[in-house]
Amino acid sequence: MSFWRRVACAVLLLVVAVSLGASSLAPAGYAKQDREAAGAPPSHAHWLGTDEIGRDRFARVLYGTRISLFLAPAAALISTLLAALVGGLAGYLGGAWARAAMAITDLFLSLPWLFLLITVRALLPLNVSPAFSVLVTFLILGLLGWTAAARVLCATGGSLRNTDFVRQARASGIRGTRLFWIHVLPNMKPVLYAQFWISIPAFILSEANLGILGLGVAEPLPSWGSLLKELEGLVSVGEEPWKFVPLLLLVIVVTSFQLVLSKQDEVAA
Amino acid sequence: MFRNDRVLTDKSQRDALLSAHLSVQYGNKPPVLRGVQLDIQHGEVLGLIGQSGSGKSTLAMAILGLIDRKRVDAQGSIFFEGSDLLTLREAALRSLRGRKIALVLQSPLSSLNPALKIRTQLRETWRAHASGSSADCDSTIRKALESVSLPSDDDFLRKYPAQMSVGQAQRVLIAMAVVHRPALLIADEATSALDVITQAEILKLFRELNQNFGMAILYISHDLASVAGICDRVAILHQGEIVEFGNTQKVLTSPSHEYTQRLLAAMPRMPQASFAAKAAAR
Ligand SMILES: Nc1ncnc2c1ncn2[C@@H]1O[C@H](COP(=O)(O)OP(=O)(O)O)[C@@H](O)[C@H]1O
Ligand SMILES: [Mg+2]
Repeated sequence: MSFWRRVACAVLLLVVAVSLGASSLAPAGYAKQDREAAGAPPSHAHWLGTDEIGRDRFARVLYGTRISLFLAPAAALISTLLAALVGGLAGYLGGAWARAAMAITDLFLSLPWLFLLITVRALLPLNVSPAFSVLVTFLILGLLGWTAAARVLCATGGSLRNTDFVRQARASGIRGTRLFWIHVLPNMKPVLYAQFWISIPAFILSEANLGILGLGVAEPLPSWGSLLKELEGLVSVGEEPWKFVPLLLLVIVVTSFQLVLSKQDEVAA
Repeated sequence: MFRNDRVLTDKSQRDALLSAHLSVQYGNKPPVLRGVQLDIQHGEVLGLIGQSGSGKSTLAMAILGLIDRKRVDAQGSIFFEGSDLLTLREAALRSLRGRKIALVLQSPLSSLNPALKIRTQLRETWRAHASGSSADCDSTIRKALESVSLPSDDDFLRKYPAQMSVGQAQRVLIAMAVVHRPALLIADEATSALDVITQAEILKLFRELNQNFGMAILYISHDLASVAGICDRVAILHQGEIVEFGNTQKVLTSPSHEYTQRLLAAMPRMPQASFAAKAAAR
Protein backbone atom coordinates (compact mmCIF):
# COMPACT_ATOMS: atom_id res chain seq x y z
CA MET A 1 0.00 0.00 0.00
CA SER A 2 1.44 3.33 -0.99
CA PHE A 3 1.99 6.14 1.49
CA TRP A 4 -0.86 8.26 0.16
CA ARG A 5 -3.34 5.41 0.19
CA ARG A 6 -2.48 4.79 3.82
CA VAL A 7 -3.01 8.43 4.62
CA ALA A 8 -6.34 8.37 2.76
CA CYS A 9 -7.44 5.29 4.69
CA ALA A 10 -6.49 6.90 7.98
CA VAL A 11 -8.37 10.09 7.07
CA LEU A 12 -11.52 8.13 6.19
CA LEU A 13 -11.37 6.10 9.39
CA LEU A 14 -10.83 9.27 11.41
CA VAL A 15 -13.80 11.01 9.79
CA VAL A 16 -16.04 7.99 10.39
CA ALA A 17 -14.87 7.65 14.01
CA VAL A 18 -15.36 11.34 14.78
CA SER A 19 -18.81 11.39 13.19
CA LEU A 20 -19.81 8.32 15.18
CA GLY A 21 -18.68 10.07 18.35
CA ALA A 22 -20.84 13.08 17.54
CA SER A 23 -23.10 12.76 20.59
CA SER A 24 -20.19 12.98 23.05
CA LEU A 25 -18.05 15.44 21.07
CA ALA A 26 -20.92 17.83 20.51
CA PRO A 27 -23.42 17.22 23.29
CA ALA A 28 -25.47 20.28 22.26
CA GLY A 29 -26.89 18.30 19.33
CA TYR A 30 -27.67 19.44 15.82
CA ALA A 31 -31.06 21.01 16.48
CA LYS A 32 -30.66 23.02 19.68
CA GLN A 33 -31.00 26.71 18.96
CA ASP A 34 -29.00 29.27 20.90
CA ARG A 35 -30.95 32.42 20.04
CA GLU A 36 -28.56 34.68 21.98
CA ALA A 37 -25.64 33.68 19.73
CA ALA A 38 -27.23 33.35 16.26
CA GLY A 39 -24.72 33.70 13.42
CA ALA A 40 -21.82 33.90 15.88
CA PRO A 41 -18.19 33.43 14.82
CA PRO A 42 -16.11 30.56 16.30
CA SER A 43 -15.72 30.67 20.08
CA HIS A 44 -14.86 28.36 22.93
CA ALA A 45 -18.49 27.26 23.19
CA HIS A 46 -19.07 26.94 19.41
CA TRP A 47 -15.84 25.84 17.67
CA LEU A 48 -17.17 26.59 14.23
CA GLY A 49 -19.59 29.26 15.23
CA THR A 50 -23.37 29.02 14.87
CA ASP A 51 -25.78 29.29 11.97
CA GLU A 52 -28.50 31.90 11.40
CA ILE A 53 -30.78 30.40 14.02
CA GLY A 54 -28.05 29.72 16.55
CA ARG A 55 -27.36 26.04 16.02
CA ASP A 56 -23.84 24.83 16.76
CA ARG A 57 -22.11 24.42 13.39
CA PHE A 58 -19.56 21.90 14.69
CA ALA A 59 -22.35 19.60 15.90
CA ARG A 60 -24.19 19.99 12.59
CA VAL A 61 -21.07 19.10 10.62
CA LEU A 62 -20.51 15.96 12.70
CA TYR A 63 -24.12 14.77 12.44
CA GLY A 64 -24.26 15.77 8.78
CA THR A 65 -21.15 13.71 8.10
CA ARG A 66 -22.78 10.78 9.83
CA ILE A 67 -25.89 11.01 7.65
CA SER A 68 -24.02 11.57 4.38
CA LEU A 69 -21.60 8.76 5.09
CA PHE A 70 -24.51 6.45 5.88
CA LEU A 71 -26.64 7.47 2.92
CA ALA A 72 -24.00 7.01 0.25
CA PRO A 73 -23.13 3.33 0.97
CA ALA A 74 -26.81 2.50 1.46
CA ALA A 75 -27.63 4.00 -1.93
CA ALA A 76 -24.58 2.28 -3.42
CA LEU A 77 -25.89 -1.02 -2.09
CA ILE A 78 -29.35 -0.64 -3.62
CA SER A 79 -28.01 0.64 -6.94
CA THR A 80 -25.47 -2.20 -7.18
CA LEU A 81 -28.17 -4.77 -6.46
CA LEU A 82 -30.43 -3.21 -9.07
CA ALA A 83 -27.57 -3.20 -11.55
CA ALA A 84 -26.89 -6.87 -10.85
CA LEU A 85 -30.54 -7.78 -11.29
CA VAL A 86 -31.23 -5.70 -14.38
CA GLY A 87 -27.83 -5.57 -16.07
CA GLY A 88 -26.41 -8.88 -14.91
CA LEU A 89 -29.55 -10.89 -15.59
CA ALA A 90 -30.16 -9.31 -18.99
CA GLY A 91 -26.53 -9.80 -19.98
CA TYR A 92 -26.68 -13.41 -18.87
CA LEU A 93 -29.90 -14.00 -20.83
CA GLY A 94 -28.36 -12.23 -23.81
CA GLY A 95 -30.01 -11.46 -27.14
CA ALA A 96 -33.17 -9.35 -26.99
CA TRP A 97 -33.00 -9.13 -23.17
CA ALA A 98 -29.55 -7.57 -23.22
CA ARG A 99 -30.58 -5.15 -25.96
CA ALA A 100 -33.72 -4.14 -24.03
CA ALA A 101 -31.76 -3.58 -20.82
CA MET A 102 -29.21 -1.44 -22.62
CA ALA A 103 -31.98 0.59 -24.24
CA ILE A 104 -33.52 1.23 -20.80
CA THR A 105 -30.20 2.32 -19.33
CA ASP A 106 -29.65 4.62 -22.31
CA LEU A 107 -33.08 6.12 -21.73
CA PHE A 108 -32.27 6.58 -18.03
CA LEU A 109 -28.97 8.26 -18.85
CA SER A 110 -30.58 10.68 -21.28
CA LEU A 111 -33.52 11.86 -19.15
CA PRO A 112 -33.33 15.43 -17.77
CA TRP A 113 -32.98 14.31 -14.17
CA LEU A 114 -32.51 17.69 -12.59
CA PHE A 115 -35.79 18.86 -14.04
CA LEU A 116 -37.57 15.66 -13.02
CA LEU A 117 -36.19 15.82 -9.50
CA ILE A 118 -37.30 19.39 -9.01
CA THR A 119 -40.74 18.36 -10.26
CA VAL A 120 -40.87 15.41 -7.90
CA ARG A 121 -39.83 17.60 -5.00
CA ALA A 122 -42.49 20.10 -5.93
CA LEU A 123 -45.12 17.37 -5.87
CA LEU A 124 -44.10 16.23 -2.39
CA PRO A 125 -45.58 18.11 0.59
CA LEU A 126 -43.43 21.02 1.75
CA ASN A 127 -42.65 19.85 5.23
CA VAL A 128 -41.92 16.17 4.97
CA SER A 129 -40.61 14.53 8.10
CA PRO A 130 -36.80 14.34 8.28
CA ALA A 131 -36.79 10.53 8.39
CA PHE A 132 -38.97 10.39 5.28
CA SER A 133 -36.68 12.83 3.48
CA VAL A 134 -33.70 10.62 4.27
CA LEU A 135 -35.56 7.64 2.82
CA VAL A 136 -36.55 9.56 -0.31
CA THR A 137 -33.02 10.87 -0.86
CA PHE A 138 -31.67 7.37 -0.48
CA LEU A 139 -34.19 5.97 -2.95
CA ILE A 140 -33.61 8.75 -5.49
CA LEU A 141 -29.85 8.20 -5.37
CA GLY A 142 -30.14 4.43 -5.52
CA LEU A 143 -32.76 4.35 -8.27
CA LEU A 144 -30.98 6.87 -10.46
CA GLY A 145 -27.44 5.71 -9.94
CA TRP A 146 -27.65 2.11 -11.10
CA THR A 147 -27.32 2.58 -14.85
CA ALA A 148 -23.55 2.89 -15.22
CA ALA A 149 -23.03 -0.21 -13.09
CA ALA A 150 -25.74 -2.03 -15.05
CA ARG A 151 -23.75 -1.58 -18.27
CA VAL A 152 -20.67 -3.12 -16.69
CA LEU A 153 -22.66 -6.01 -15.22
CA CYS A 154 -24.45 -6.64 -18.50
CA ALA A 155 -21.09 -7.27 -20.11
CA THR A 156 -20.06 -9.52 -17.21
CA GLY A 157 -23.29 -11.49 -17.47
CA GLY A 158 -22.78 -11.94 -21.20
CA SER A 159 -19.32 -13.38 -20.74
CA LEU A 160 -20.52 -15.71 -17.97
CA ARG A 161 -23.26 -17.13 -20.19
CA ASN A 162 -20.71 -18.76 -22.47
CA THR A 163 -18.50 -20.30 -19.82
CA ASP A 164 -17.97 -24.04 -19.57
CA PHE A 165 -19.29 -24.20 -16.03
CA VAL A 166 -22.60 -22.61 -16.99
CA ARG A 167 -22.90 -25.04 -19.90
CA GLN A 168 -22.04 -27.90 -17.55
CA ALA A 169 -24.62 -26.74 -15.00
CA ARG A 170 -27.26 -26.45 -17.72
CA ALA A 171 -26.40 -29.95 -18.90
CA SER A 172 -27.04 -31.11 -15.32
CA GLY A 173 -30.65 -30.03 -15.64
CA ILE A 174 -30.43 -27.11 -13.24
CA ARG A 175 -33.35 -24.72 -13.60
CA GLY A 176 -32.86 -21.28 -15.17
CA THR A 177 -33.58 -19.15 -12.10
CA ARG A 178 -31.41 -21.29 -9.84
CA LEU A 179 -28.66 -21.26 -12.43
CA PHE A 180 -28.59 -17.48 -12.25
CA TRP A 181 -28.79 -17.14 -8.46
CA ILE A 182 -26.48 -19.95 -7.42
CA HIS A 183 -24.09 -20.34 -10.33
CA VAL A 184 -23.87 -17.02 -12.14
CA LEU A 185 -24.36 -14.32 -9.49
CA PRO A 186 -21.50 -15.43 -7.19
CA ASN A 187 -19.16 -15.06 -10.14
CA MET A 188 -20.18 -11.42 -10.45
CA LYS A 189 -19.04 -10.69 -6.89
CA PRO A 190 -15.67 -9.08 -7.74
CA VAL A 191 -17.39 -6.73 -10.21
CA LEU A 192 -20.20 -6.04 -7.75
CA TYR A 193 -17.74 -5.11 -4.99
CA ALA A 194 -15.84 -2.82 -7.33
CA GLN A 195 -19.06 -1.14 -8.48
CA PHE A 196 -20.24 -0.73 -4.89
CA TRP A 197 -17.07 1.02 -3.76
CA ILE A 198 -16.77 3.17 -6.86
CA SER A 199 -20.32 4.48 -6.48
CA ILE A 200 -19.88 5.64 -2.87
CA PRO A 201 -17.93 8.85 -3.64
CA ALA A 202 -20.23 9.50 -6.59
CA PHE A 203 -23.26 9.26 -4.30
CA ILE A 204 -21.65 11.51 -1.68
CA LEU A 205 -21.36 14.18 -4.37
CA SER A 206 -24.88 13.54 -5.69
CA GLU A 207 -26.32 13.88 -2.20
CA ALA A 208 -24.50 17.18 -1.81
CA ASN A 209 -25.94 18.35 -5.13
CA LEU A 210 -29.46 17.39 -4.12
CA GLY A 211 -28.96 19.16 -0.80
CA ILE A 212 -27.82 22.41 -2.41
CA LEU A 213 -30.97 22.32 -4.55
CA GLY A 214 -33.03 21.81 -1.41
CA LEU A 215 -34.11 18.37 -2.59
CA GLY A 216 -32.20 16.30 -0.09
CA VAL A 217 -32.41 15.66 3.61
CA ALA A 218 -34.97 17.93 5.29
CA GLU A 219 -34.47 20.33 8.20
CA PRO A 220 -33.60 20.13 10.99
CA LEU A 221 -31.50 17.09 10.03
CA PRO A 222 -28.12 18.17 8.68
CA SER A 223 -26.26 16.58 5.79
CA TRP A 224 -23.35 17.80 3.72
CA GLY A 225 -25.80 18.89 1.07
CA SER A 226 -27.88 21.06 3.42
CA LEU A 227 -24.75 22.42 5.13
CA LEU A 228 -23.36 23.52 1.76
CA LYS A 229 -26.57 25.40 1.12
CA GLU A 230 -25.35 27.91 3.68
CA LEU A 231 -22.62 28.97 1.26
CA GLU A 232 -25.28 30.36 -1.11
CA GLY A 233 -25.61 33.69 0.67
CA LEU A 234 -21.90 34.15 1.22
CA VAL A 235 -20.64 37.46 -0.06
CA SER A 236 -16.88 37.03 0.17
CA VAL A 237 -14.64 34.00 0.71
CA GLY A 238 -12.37 35.66 3.21
CA GLU A 239 -15.15 36.95 5.42
CA GLU A 240 -16.24 33.81 7.27
CA PRO A 241 -13.80 31.03 6.37
CA TRP A 242 -15.22 28.60 8.99
CA LYS A 243 -18.36 28.25 6.88
CA PHE A 244 -16.23 26.38 4.36
CA VAL A 245 -15.48 23.52 6.72
CA PRO A 246 -18.27 21.23 5.33
CA LEU A 247 -17.02 21.84 1.77
CA LEU A 248 -13.45 21.11 2.82
CA LEU A 249 -14.55 17.94 4.54
CA LEU A 250 -16.50 16.85 1.46
CA VAL A 251 -13.51 17.40 -0.79
CA ILE A 252 -11.17 15.59 1.58
CA VAL A 253 -13.45 12.57 1.98
CA VAL A 254 -14.22 12.19 -1.74
CA THR A 255 -10.54 12.59 -2.64
CA SER A 256 -9.54 10.04 -0.01
CA PHE A 257 -12.09 7.60 -1.39
CA GLN A 258 -10.73 8.02 -4.91
CA LEU A 259 -7.20 7.49 -3.63
CA VAL A 260 -8.11 4.33 -1.75
CA LEU A 261 -10.05 2.98 -4.73
CA SER A 262 -7.51 3.81 -7.42
CA LYS A 263 -5.57 0.61 -6.70
CA GLN A 264 -8.64 -1.56 -6.13
CA ASP A 265 -9.87 -0.77 -9.62
CA GLU A 266 -6.74 -2.19 -11.13
CA VAL A 267 -7.09 -5.34 -9.05
CA ALA A 268 -10.75 -5.79 -9.99
CA ALA A 269 -10.22 -5.07 -13.67
CA MET B 1 -21.90 -59.01 -35.37
CA PHE B 2 -20.36 -55.89 -36.87
CA ARG B 3 -22.69 -53.05 -37.49
CA ASN B 4 -20.75 -51.05 -40.02
CA ASP B 5 -23.60 -50.94 -42.50
CA ARG B 6 -24.78 -47.35 -42.87
CA VAL B 7 -28.49 -48.05 -42.75
CA LEU B 8 -29.65 -49.21 -39.37
CA THR B 9 -31.81 -52.26 -39.22
CA ASP B 10 -35.25 -51.83 -37.73
CA LYS B 11 -34.38 -54.07 -34.84
CA SER B 12 -31.21 -52.29 -33.80
CA GLN B 13 -33.08 -49.03 -33.94
CA ARG B 14 -35.89 -50.30 -31.76
CA ASP B 15 -33.54 -51.84 -29.21
CA ALA B 16 -31.14 -48.94 -29.14
CA LEU B 17 -30.85 -46.68 -26.11
CA LEU B 18 -30.59 -43.78 -28.53
CA SER B 19 -30.87 -43.59 -32.25
CA ALA B 20 -30.25 -40.40 -34.13
CA HIS B 21 -30.69 -39.28 -37.69
CA LEU B 22 -29.64 -35.70 -37.74
CA SER B 23 -28.68 -32.67 -39.81
CA VAL B 24 -27.67 -29.42 -38.16
CA GLN B 25 -27.02 -26.01 -39.63
CA TYR B 26 -25.95 -22.84 -37.80
CA GLY B 27 -27.68 -19.89 -39.42
CA ASN B 28 -26.73 -19.49 -43.05
CA LYS B 29 -23.43 -21.33 -42.77
CA PRO B 30 -23.00 -24.69 -44.52
CA PRO B 31 -24.48 -27.56 -42.50
CA VAL B 32 -22.27 -28.87 -39.70
CA LEU B 33 -23.92 -32.31 -39.55
CA ARG B 34 -25.35 -33.83 -42.72
CA GLY B 35 -27.64 -36.81 -42.26
CA VAL B 36 -25.63 -38.30 -39.43
CA GLN B 37 -26.98 -41.71 -38.45
CA LEU B 38 -25.94 -43.06 -35.11
CA ASP B 39 -27.27 -45.53 -32.59
CA ILE B 40 -26.08 -46.14 -29.07
CA GLN B 41 -26.91 -49.51 -27.55
CA HIS B 42 -27.66 -50.06 -23.86
CA GLY B 43 -24.47 -50.31 -21.84
CA GLU B 44 -21.99 -49.88 -24.67
CA VAL B 45 -19.09 -47.49 -25.00
CA LEU B 46 -19.32 -45.82 -28.37
CA GLY B 47 -16.43 -43.69 -29.58
CA LEU B 48 -17.18 -40.68 -31.77
CA ILE B 49 -13.99 -39.62 -33.49
CA GLY B 50 -13.45 -36.60 -35.69
CA GLN B 51 -11.07 -33.74 -36.05
CA SER B 52 -11.69 -30.44 -34.36
CA GLY B 53 -14.56 -28.56 -36.00
CA SER B 54 -16.11 -31.70 -37.47
CA GLY B 55 -19.31 -31.25 -35.43
CA LYS B 56 -18.82 -33.64 -32.51
CA SER B 57 -19.83 -31.16 -29.82
CA THR B 58 -22.76 -30.06 -31.95
CA LEU B 59 -24.04 -33.63 -31.89
CA ALA B 60 -23.58 -33.81 -28.12
CA MET B 61 -25.42 -30.52 -27.60
CA ALA B 62 -28.23 -31.66 -29.90
CA ILE B 63 -28.70 -34.83 -27.85
CA LEU B 64 -28.86 -32.75 -24.65
CA GLY B 65 -31.30 -30.32 -26.25
CA LEU B 66 -28.90 -27.48 -25.60
CA ILE B 67 -28.79 -26.00 -29.08
CA ASP B 68 -30.76 -22.84 -29.54
CA ARG B 69 -33.71 -23.94 -31.66
CA LYS B 70 -34.48 -20.39 -32.72
CA ARG B 71 -31.12 -19.79 -34.32
CA VAL B 72 -30.02 -23.30 -35.23
CA ASP B 73 -31.76 -25.50 -37.73
CA ALA B 74 -31.80 -29.13 -36.55
CA GLN B 75 -33.61 -31.59 -38.83
CA GLY B 76 -34.28 -35.27 -38.27
CA SER B 77 -34.88 -37.18 -35.08
CA ILE B 78 -33.09 -38.31 -31.94
CA PHE B 79 -35.05 -41.15 -30.35
CA PHE B 80 -34.30 -41.79 -26.69
CA GLU B 81 -36.51 -43.98 -24.52
CA GLY B 82 -39.41 -43.72 -26.90
CA SER B 83 -39.49 -39.98 -27.47
CA ASP B 84 -37.91 -37.72 -30.05
CA LEU B 85 -35.57 -35.35 -28.25
CA LEU B 86 -35.79 -32.84 -31.09
CA THR B 87 -39.50 -32.31 -30.50
CA LEU B 88 -39.57 -32.42 -26.70
CA ARG B 89 -40.42 -29.28 -24.77
CA GLU B 90 -37.77 -27.56 -22.70
CA ALA B 91 -39.22 -28.78 -19.37
CA ALA B 92 -39.14 -32.40 -20.53
CA LEU B 93 -35.60 -32.00 -21.81
CA ARG B 94 -34.49 -30.42 -18.56
CA SER B 95 -35.79 -33.37 -16.62
CA LEU B 96 -33.69 -35.68 -18.80
CA ARG B 97 -30.51 -33.64 -18.55
CA GLY B 98 -28.27 -34.81 -15.76
CA ARG B 99 -30.78 -37.50 -14.76
CA LYS B 100 -30.93 -39.72 -17.87
CA ILE B 101 -28.27 -38.13 -20.04
CA ALA B 102 -25.23 -36.55 -18.43
CA LEU B 103 -22.31 -34.58 -19.81
CA VAL B 104 -18.63 -34.34 -18.95
CA LEU B 105 -16.75 -31.55 -20.69
CA GLN B 106 -13.17 -31.18 -21.76
CA SER B 107 -11.39 -28.83 -19.40
CA PRO B 108 -12.17 -29.83 -15.83
CA LEU B 109 -11.06 -26.62 -14.16
CA SER B 110 -13.23 -24.37 -16.29
CA SER B 111 -16.19 -26.75 -16.20
CA LEU B 112 -16.40 -26.48 -12.43
CA ASN B 113 -17.79 -23.25 -11.03
CA PRO B 114 -14.81 -21.33 -9.60
CA ALA B 115 -17.00 -19.53 -7.07
CA LEU B 116 -18.61 -22.59 -5.51
CA LYS B 117 -17.36 -25.27 -3.18
CA ILE B 118 -17.36 -28.86 -4.42
CA ARG B 119 -20.12 -29.67 -1.95
CA THR B 120 -22.37 -26.92 -3.28
CA GLN B 121 -21.88 -28.02 -6.87
CA LEU B 122 -22.62 -31.65 -6.08
CA ARG B 123 -25.65 -30.68 -3.99
CA GLU B 124 -26.97 -28.50 -6.80
CA THR B 125 -26.62 -31.38 -9.21
CA TRP B 126 -28.51 -33.64 -6.84
CA ARG B 127 -31.22 -31.09 -6.13
CA ALA B 128 -31.89 -30.57 -9.82
CA HIS B 129 -33.67 -33.94 -9.94
CA ALA B 130 -34.22 -35.11 -6.39
CA SER B 131 -35.87 -33.86 -3.25
CA GLY B 132 -35.27 -35.04 0.26
CA SER B 133 -33.33 -34.31 3.41
CA SER B 134 -29.79 -32.99 3.26
CA ALA B 135 -28.70 -36.31 4.81
CA ASP B 136 -30.08 -38.15 1.76
CA CYS B 137 -28.29 -35.66 -0.43
CA ASP B 138 -24.97 -36.01 1.37
CA SER B 139 -25.05 -39.79 1.31
CA THR B 140 -25.70 -39.78 -2.46
CA ILE B 141 -22.90 -37.27 -2.96
CA ARG B 142 -20.48 -39.36 -0.93
CA LYS B 143 -21.36 -42.48 -2.89
CA ALA B 144 -20.80 -40.65 -6.16
CA LEU B 145 -17.39 -39.43 -4.96
CA GLU B 146 -16.43 -42.91 -3.81
CA SER B 147 -17.42 -44.37 -7.18
CA VAL B 148 -14.81 -42.15 -8.82
CA SER B 149 -12.19 -42.96 -6.13
CA LEU B 150 -12.19 -39.51 -4.56
CA PRO B 151 -12.16 -38.77 -0.85
CA SER B 152 -15.61 -37.88 0.46
CA ASP B 153 -14.68 -36.28 3.77
CA ASP B 154 -15.72 -32.77 4.77
CA ASP B 155 -12.26 -31.33 4.12
CA PHE B 156 -12.48 -32.38 0.52
CA LEU B 157 -16.08 -31.23 0.09
CA ARG B 158 -15.11 -27.78 1.37
CA LYS B 159 -12.58 -27.28 -1.40
CA TYR B 160 -12.91 -24.90 -4.29
CA PRO B 161 -11.98 -26.11 -7.80
CA ALA B 162 -8.80 -24.03 -7.77
CA GLN B 163 -7.57 -26.03 -4.79
CA MET B 164 -7.57 -29.32 -6.68
CA SER B 165 -5.39 -30.97 -9.28
CA VAL B 166 -6.70 -31.28 -12.82
CA GLY B 167 -7.14 -35.02 -12.41
CA GLN B 168 -9.16 -34.55 -9.22
CA ALA B 169 -11.29 -31.88 -10.84
CA GLN B 170 -12.06 -34.21 -13.75
CA ARG B 171 -13.10 -36.89 -11.26
CA VAL B 172 -15.38 -34.41 -9.49
CA LEU B 173 -17.00 -33.61 -12.83
CA ILE B 174 -17.52 -37.30 -13.47
CA ALA B 175 -18.93 -37.74 -9.97
CA MET B 176 -21.40 -34.93 -10.73
CA ALA B 177 -22.35 -36.69 -13.93
CA VAL B 178 -23.06 -40.02 -12.22
CA VAL B 179 -24.98 -38.67 -9.20
CA HIS B 180 -28.28 -39.73 -10.78
CA ARG B 181 -26.89 -42.86 -12.49
CA PRO B 182 -27.74 -41.73 -16.03
CA ALA B 183 -28.42 -44.26 -18.76
CA LEU B 184 -26.13 -42.34 -21.09
CA LEU B 185 -23.00 -40.39 -20.30
CA ILE B 186 -21.59 -38.10 -22.95
CA ALA B 187 -17.88 -37.44 -22.49
CA ASP B 188 -16.91 -34.59 -24.82
CA GLU B 189 -13.11 -34.66 -25.12
CA ALA B 190 -13.12 -35.52 -21.44
CA THR B 191 -9.52 -36.68 -21.40
CA SER B 192 -8.04 -34.48 -24.12
CA ALA B 193 -6.73 -31.85 -21.71
CA LEU B 194 -5.03 -34.33 -19.37
CA ASP B 195 -1.49 -35.66 -19.28
CA VAL B 196 -1.13 -39.25 -20.52
CA ILE B 197 -0.99 -40.90 -17.09
CA THR B 198 -4.06 -39.08 -15.75
CA GLN B 199 -5.72 -39.73 -19.09
CA ALA B 200 -5.18 -43.47 -18.72
CA GLU B 201 -6.57 -43.38 -15.17
CA ILE B 202 -9.67 -41.49 -16.23
CA LEU B 203 -10.26 -43.80 -19.18
CA LYS B 204 -10.03 -46.76 -16.80
CA LEU B 205 -12.52 -45.03 -14.53
CA PHE B 206 -14.98 -44.59 -17.41
CA ARG B 207 -14.61 -48.27 -18.20
CA GLU B 208 -15.35 -49.19 -14.57
CA LEU B 209 -18.39 -46.93 -14.41
CA ASN B 210 -19.62 -48.47 -17.63
CA GLN B 211 -19.22 -51.99 -16.25
CA ASN B 212 -20.43 -51.32 -12.69
CA PHE B 213 -23.47 -49.21 -13.50
CA GLY B 214 -24.23 -50.55 -16.98
CA MET B 215 -24.15 -46.96 -18.15
CA ALA B 216 -23.74 -46.36 -21.89
CA ILE B 217 -21.02 -43.86 -22.80
CA LEU B 218 -20.71 -41.73 -25.89
CA TYR B 219 -17.00 -41.05 -25.89
CA ILE B 220 -16.14 -38.05 -28.05
CA SER B 221 -12.52 -37.47 -29.02
CA HIS B 222 -10.33 -36.17 -31.81
CA ASP B 223 -7.81 -38.86 -31.02
CA LEU B 224 -8.64 -42.40 -32.11
CA ALA B 225 -5.53 -43.92 -30.56
CA SER B 226 -6.24 -42.76 -27.01
CA VAL B 227 -9.81 -44.04 -26.82
CA ALA B 228 -9.71 -47.17 -28.96
CA GLY B 229 -8.92 -49.15 -25.84
CA ILE B 230 -12.25 -48.51 -24.12
CA CYS B 231 -14.66 -48.34 -27.04
CA ASP B 232 -16.85 -51.26 -28.11
CA ARG B 233 -17.64 -49.51 -31.34
CA VAL B 234 -16.39 -46.35 -33.00
CA ALA B 235 -17.98 -43.89 -35.40
CA ILE B 236 -15.72 -41.69 -37.50
CA LEU B 237 -17.13 -38.25 -38.24
CA HIS B 238 -15.65 -36.43 -41.21
CA GLN B 239 -16.95 -33.23 -42.79
CA GLY B 240 -20.34 -33.62 -41.15
CA GLU B 241 -20.90 -37.23 -42.10
CA ILE B 242 -20.27 -40.56 -40.43
CA VAL B 243 -17.81 -42.19 -42.80
CA GLU B 244 -17.13 -45.30 -40.80
CA PHE B 245 -19.13 -46.97 -38.04
CA GLY B 246 -18.50 -50.34 -36.50
CA ASN B 247 -16.71 -52.60 -34.11
CA THR B 248 -13.49 -50.97 -32.90
CA GLN B 249 -11.28 -53.91 -33.78
CA LYS B 250 -12.68 -54.06 -37.29
CA VAL B 251 -12.28 -50.33 -37.89
CA LEU B 252 -8.70 -50.46 -36.64
CA THR B 253 -7.67 -53.46 -38.72
CA SER B 254 -9.64 -53.04 -41.92
CA PRO B 255 -10.85 -49.48 -42.36
CA SER B 256 -13.02 -49.03 -45.41
CA HIS B 257 -13.03 -45.26 -45.83
CA GLU B 258 -10.04 -43.33 -47.10
CA TYR B 259 -10.27 -40.82 -44.23
CA THR B 260 -10.09 -43.57 -41.62
CA GLN B 261 -7.08 -45.02 -43.37
CA ARG B 262 -5.32 -41.66 -43.19
CA LEU B 263 -6.33 -41.35 -39.55
CA LEU B 264 -4.81 -44.74 -38.76
CA ALA B 265 -1.65 -43.97 -40.71
CA ALA B 266 -1.23 -40.85 -38.59
CA MET B 267 -1.53 -42.77 -35.33
CA PRO B 268 1.67 -42.68 -33.27
CA ARG B 269 3.53 -46.00 -32.92
CA MET B 270 5.64 -47.14 -30.03
CA PRO B 271 9.34 -46.29 -30.67
CA GLN B 272 10.43 -49.90 -30.11
CA ALA B 273 7.96 -51.13 -32.68
CA SER B 274 9.19 -48.77 -35.37
CA PHE B 275 12.77 -49.55 -34.34
CA ALA B 276 12.10 -53.23 -34.80
CA ALA B 277 10.44 -52.59 -38.13
CA LYS B 278 13.46 -50.62 -39.33
CA ALA B 279 15.84 -53.31 -38.10
CA ALA B 280 13.84 -55.97 -39.91
CA ALA B 281 13.91 -53.92 -43.10
CA ARG B 282 17.72 -53.74 -42.95
N1 LIG C 1 -23.01 -21.72 -31.65
C1 LIG C 1 -22.45 -21.82 -32.87
N2 LIG C 1 -22.76 -20.90 -33.83
C2 LIG C 1 -22.22 -20.97 -35.05
N3 LIG C 1 -21.37 -21.92 -35.45
C3 LIG C 1 -21.03 -22.87 -34.56
C4 LIG C 1 -21.54 -22.86 -33.23
N4 LIG C 1 -21.03 -23.92 -32.56
C5 LIG C 1 -20.22 -24.56 -33.44
N5 LIG C 1 -20.22 -23.93 -34.64
C6 LIG C 1 -19.48 -24.36 -35.83
O1 LIG C 1 -19.80 -25.71 -36.09
C7 LIG C 1 -18.66 -26.43 -36.46
C8 LIG C 1 -18.52 -27.66 -35.58
O2 LIG C 1 -18.27 -27.25 -34.27
P1 LIG C 1 -18.21 -28.29 -33.07
O3 LIG C 1 -19.47 -29.06 -33.03
O4 LIG C 1 -17.83 -27.55 -31.84
O5 LIG C 1 -17.01 -29.24 -33.54
P2 LIG C 1 -16.06 -30.18 -32.67
O6 LIG C 1 -16.65 -30.38 -31.34
O7 LIG C 1 -16.00 -31.44 -33.48
O8 LIG C 1 -14.72 -29.53 -32.62
C9 LIG C 1 -17.47 -25.49 -36.36
O9 LIG C 1 -17.11 -25.09 -37.66
C10 LIG C 1 -17.99 -24.33 -35.57
O10 LIG C 1 -17.41 -23.14 -36.04
MG1 LIG D 1 -15.85 -29.98 -29.42
